[in-house]
Amino acid sequence: MSIVNSEGPQTATPISSLPVTVMPRSVGYWQSVWQRLCKDKVSMICLISLILIICASFAAPLLTSYDPAIGSVIKRLKPVGTEGHILGTDELGRDMLTRLLYGGRTSLIMGFVPVFLALLIGGSLGTFAGFVGGRVNAIIMRTADVLFAFPSVLLAVAIAGALGAGVGNALVALTIVLVPPMIRITESATTQVRALDFVEAARASGAGNLTIIRVHVLGNILGPVLVYATSLLSVAIIMAAGLSFIGLGAKPPTAEWGLMLNTLRAAIYSQPLIAALPGVFIFIVSLSFNMLSDGLRSAMEVS
Amino acid sequence: MLGYILKRLLHAVPVALAVSVICFSLVQLAPGDPLAVVLPADASQETVDAVKAQYGLDRPLVVQYFIWLGNVVTGDFGKSIATGRPVLSEISNAIGYSLSLAFLASLMALIVGLSLGMLAGYTIGSPVDKVASAFAISGVSIPHYWLGIVLVVIFSVQLNALPAMGAGTNPDAGILERLRFMILPAVTLAAMPAGIVTRSVRALVAETLARDFVTALRAKGLTEVQIFGHVVKNSAPTALAVIGVQMGYLMAGSILVETVFSWPGTGLLLNSAILTRDIPLLQGTILVLALFFVAMNLIVDILQPLFDPRIKRI
Amino acid sequence: MPIGYDLKSGALAALGHTARKLSSWQVLRPAKHLACATALGLLMAHGAMAEGTLRVALTASDIPLPNGQTDQGAEGMRFMGYTVFEALINYDLSSADKPVTLVPGLASEWSVNPDDKTKWTFKLREGVTFHDGSPFNADAVIFNFDKIKDESAPQYDEKQSGQGRGRIPTVTGYTKIDDMTVEITTSAPDALIPYQIAWIVMSSPAAWEAAGSWDAFLNAPAGTGPFKVSEYVPRERAVLTRNDAYWDPERVPELDELVLLPVPDASARVAALRSGQVDWIEAPPADAMASLEAAGFEIVSNVYPHVWPWHFSMLEGSPWTDERVRKAANLAIDREGMKSLLGGMMLPAQGMVPPTSDWFGEPEFTVGYDVEAAKALMAEAGISKENPISVKAIISPSGGGQMQPILMNEYIQQNLAEIGINVEFDVRDWNALISNWRAGAKDPTTNGAMSTNSSYFSQDPFTSLMRHIDSRLVAPKGTNWGYYESAEADALIDQIRSEFDTTIQLEAIQSLHEHYVDNALFLFVAHDVQPRAISAKVKGFIPAQNWFQDLTPVSIEE
Repeated sequence: MSIVNSEGPQTATPISSLPVTVMPRSVGYWQSVWQRLCKDKVSMICLISLILIICASFAAPLLTSYDPAIGSVIKRLKPVGTEGHILGTDELGRDMLTRLLYGGRTSLIMGFVPVFLALLIGGSLGTFAGFVGGRVNAIIMRTADVLFAFPSVLLAVAIAGALGAGVGNALVALTIVLVPPMIRITESATTQVRALDFVEAARASGAGNLTIIRVHVLGNILGPVLVYATSLLSVAIIMAAGLSFIGLGAKPPTAEWGLMLNTLRAAIYSQPLIAALPGVFIFIVSLSFNMLSDGLRSAMEVS
Repeated sequence: MLGYILKRLLHAVPVALAVSVICFSLVQLAPGDPLAVVLPADASQETVDAVKAQYGLDRPLVVQYFIWLGNVVTGDFGKSIATGRPVLSEISNAIGYSLSLAFLASLMALIVGLSLGMLAGYTIGSPVDKVASAFAISGVSIPHYWLGIVLVVIFSVQLNALPAMGAGTNPDAGILERLRFMILPAVTLAAMPAGIVTRSVRALVAETLARDFVTALRAKGLTEVQIFGHVVKNSAPTALAVIGVQMGYLMAGSILVETVFSWPGTGLLLNSAILTRDIPLLQGTILVLALFFVAMNLIVDILQPLFDPRIKRI
Repeated sequence: MPIGYDLKSGALAALGHTARKLSSWQVLRPAKHLACATALGLLMAHGAMAEGTLRVALTASDIPLPNGQTDQGAEGMRFMGYTVFEALINYDLSSADKPVTLVPGLASEWSVNPDDKTKWTFKLREGVTFHDGSPFNADAVIFNFDKIKDESAPQYDEKQSGQGRGRIPTVTGYTKIDDMTVEITTSAPDALIPYQIAWIVMSSPAAWEAAGSWDAFLNAPAGTGPFKVSEYVPRERAVLTRNDAYWDPERVPELDELVLLPVPDASARVAALRSGQVDWIEAPPADAMASLEAAGFEIVSNVYPHVWPWHFSMLEGSPWTDERVRKAANLAIDREGMKSLLGGMMLPAQGMVPPTSDWFGEPEFTVGYDVEAAKALMAEAGISKENPISVKAIISPSGGGQMQPILMNEYIQQNLAEIGINVEFDVRDWNALISNWRAGAKDPTTNGAMSTNSSYFSQDPFTSLMRHIDSRLVAPKGTNWGYYESAEADALIDQIRSEFDTTIQLEAIQSLHEHYVDNALFLFVAHDVQPRAISAKVKGFIPAQNWFQDLTPVSIEE
């Protein structure tokens, strides 16, 4: 039992509700999950909008000829729909669409990288702890529990606040926050798998530890980890933009959704729509990841 | 039962200690000379030496930690660099504001979450469920600092109906006047926990209704109202537990919302500590908030079995 | 008339630099409202005694300390320093049309010893009491000088000393002659002493003794000013109430209460004003001004002696040590563009003071917008857009006199990128920026930055020109943050200080300003016009051409 009820970052899909029914899974299983997901309209809409936003962000230089850092003061705070600036201009006369696209790059990277690193670090530590068990397990799990004793936003703010502003420091802070829940999920799945009959059988038939981990453990934890990581992406993006919003992430003139939201606050009286735009994108991306996570979970739950 | 409570309390001690270790290490994490962040920039050499001795900064880190811990336990959190005031008094001034905001937001989240969750759980798959679930997932996905700005634009700027910032300037204001200031920040804060509570209650209600014993009760001829009573009895403890933990999150996670609304609580304090690089204040505020979170978890742990006889804790 | 008066008006001839030649404050956009405010002010002076509570949103993130020599920069002095406390010499802030002059405050007269110009005699005002009822006398003056100058005195206060010490660098001694006379000694003849003395405010010694410490003093502060502190809640609010027993009946406040609220966030200040939570906000953001005016609020502004620069570090490793780079940067800033960015609320800077000032002189280098000339200078230094250099700049998100720092600095960042200077910002709270500015560029808290963006309020030749480049006032002893050293500048500074003939003194001041501009010592960006937005309920406010303002004639009409 964990020391605290906390489940780490406040995801839409808490760890406790993850589908961790352990069973041997074949390639056919994943195919059927994918087929069910394809039939879910909501998930597909989310998936497509995410792919569109991600591609547009990374293809930003091809889609716009404006420089995200340079604007013209004469053209500042033009409304949405202005000729040449479909989404208007910001407080320094920079094209909003351009800044939103480039900003998407920074924001998405700041959301993806910590989740990926947490998956890598937390995943290996958790699998290792679950597989080895005993004292090593206890040490790793209790350490993770200590970090669970911190509310995630507070921990991220504390670390980033102590390290100082900057995208790099924000990435470090977010990764530290996301590792413990990854450890917890992978450890619990691995522990369950290890005790199963078919794993014992595989061991008896001379399969090495690595093979067992690769085939049985990874095959089993992939599902819950995928569902959890997807909803974690939503949290990571909100938190990353939040850090920038309070001045702990990206620095001007970098385009980043949270920072844009902050610097445009003075414009809420003259151009409320433009001031709200970066938040709309954070919301869409975060919502899409959460709905996709829901869709994945139900696609996996049907047996 | 007493044994269980005692056990939980004992469990909390190492957690609290670990939390203090992390807070202590924050100073070590901060770039630059730790002394430079504790002292005013133009401090004289005597002051430097005095402070060095006082904090034991020439001693090994472990010793330094225990000196610091000793100070903290006796209520000495050091002094804020920016203001020179004791950190503890800064925090105690702010904590009431954050607590009242977190409480109001939790109450809102509980009411909205319970009703929406019940509604959705009873009507799984129906349009009502879909709308309620959409609300819930939006609540969880919305960047609340943005929601705050949007609410300010609508209710303060356009409609001029509610105050946009602060906790009011009149110290003798009545409760209603005070509440007016709390509405927007509390609604903003409540969005996420309301979503989380809705989702857990929905799942719980649906699960309860699908259980064999409900079918059995129905077969026995119990009215829907009586069955509803059973459903509530089954889901309320979980909702309460969720909201208890959420309150800890709200206290600690309010930094963004308090910044948007200039609400003079611990979050705003934390924000100004970060901007001024006031490490003692940062350290102290984070320690207090984290300990509050641990305490909320402890309370939920202790109370849950009382409400929910199904949970047999060892 | 005592000698001091002649001296004072002589020195003030030099001070009267901005508005006299600047076509007047009415050239500025909100002139209409200003005129209204002034006219109403005149009416109010004869009208019935209006009362009420004025709630002011400050840009500071904390309430300025009510200890006497307060913090939070000039904003702190404006709302806490000169409302609750007073100096021996006050500013005359009663007019919007003429430059601000010095007038007797807690000293009724003062004069310099004609035989030994290092000795000044101050006659103290009779019958003044502190808010706690204790009398103001020579002992109180000595107590307050010791508070900031004598580290061995029990009342020595590091915080107040940090704020006040740098203001009186030439004061070396102070003695009580009799109960109502004090003599002040300077290290060398210093014609600018009255300006320095106007910074040093008097806290009640009896209140400090009763409190036992300066921290405890904050809960029961006592000065002699027209307002007294009735409530002080750190970070939340301070409530000042009218001091009915104020010594000057003309300046007993119209208001019952003056409430100060710290609201560092500019949009939160606007929201607070619009929703009626405050009646007065400092520094409304440019983007909100039009909508505020449309909603019936008044934007009040006036020129005042102020400059918004980048103060360069002249330490080794800073690219700003290269004069070509400094000049190029000064030529790369499109100040007219910035002006439109601020909704017209600034004057483009061509030096430390506006070209219309008596102090401006005739510098050879013209600060203006000429990107080609800037690029040529950069090419000489081996720098171009393709081969850029990086600089780190300390800036603040808000602060008194900082105008719209983030916006303006981002704009500068764009301008400088054009000529191959890539700027990285180190954003700090206003108070933190000031502490680093006091500590100097060599201090570890500078963290590798090569400039700081502290705006300067130039009340007199010392604060506006001398203190920033005097090599004997390098930080932390003085406020030469960048460690600039020049024998020429030092000689001019000595001349200004020791010259009691105001015509010759003015020439030296002009030469010093020429030295600034010709060497492009700072990045000269803007002069503030100090916009503030007030509700229509606020009557009688007269915006003085100064960073400090008199709130005693202000009233609230419900």
